[in-house]
Amino acid sequence: MTRKAREYATAIMGLLLLGIGLYLVKTIADPQGFMRALPFVCVGLGCGAFGHGVSDIIFRRAVAGHPDIQKRIDVEKNDERNISISNRAKAKAFDVMIYVFGALMVSFALMGVDMVAVLLLVFSYLFVEGCAIRYRCKYDKEM
Amino acid sequence: MKNRLEELRKQRGIRQEDLAAALEVSRQTVGSLENGRYNPSILLAFKIARYFGMSVEDVFIYEEEK
Repeated sequence: MTRKAREYATAIMGLLLLGIGLYLVKTIADPQGFMRALPFVCVGLGCGAFGHGVSDIIFRRAVAGHPDIQKRIDVEKNDERNISISNRAKAKAFDVMIYVFGALMVSFALMGVDMVAVLLLVFSYLFVEGCAIRYRCKYDKEM
Repeated sequence: MKNRLEELRKQRGIRQEDLAAALEVSRQTVGSLENGRYNPSILLAFKIARYFGMSVEDVFIYEEEK
């Protein structure tokens, strides 16, 4: 799929999801279980996908006749210092996230929050830590 | 690590913007390199040295940490 087709597909899918979400909100009188949240999830995802797709289309059209601007954007995007700054910021945010996750888990446990919610949080924490270990091993082999 | 980037650029009368365009990096990167706030990758270091027609050692000065 070309970049152009992907952008249009994202925008159309977003619009469809938004439409389905709004339709479900209007038509389901007494929603039960996950159907209470599904319409709003559809609206949220739809708005996100539509906005993302449309912004990509507008951006591509805006820079289409200006190769100099496109070149400058590419340079900024691929600039090694910018990439290095971005990676350092992400690494720092990851370190902070580990502490935030830990504090949240302890808080949830002390607050007596439902066991399912606490376990979901614990497993997501472990999953993130697992990803960190996996990529550490992968890059250790590659570099 | 110190470097002679600013000195070499000024000797040749090149603007930061032009050097950045030639090296395909942002102007901020050139500024940071000149101020010594950022050390380039080995690829960029070679690119810079090649641009000035010099060796990497002539542009970048390695100093042992005390």
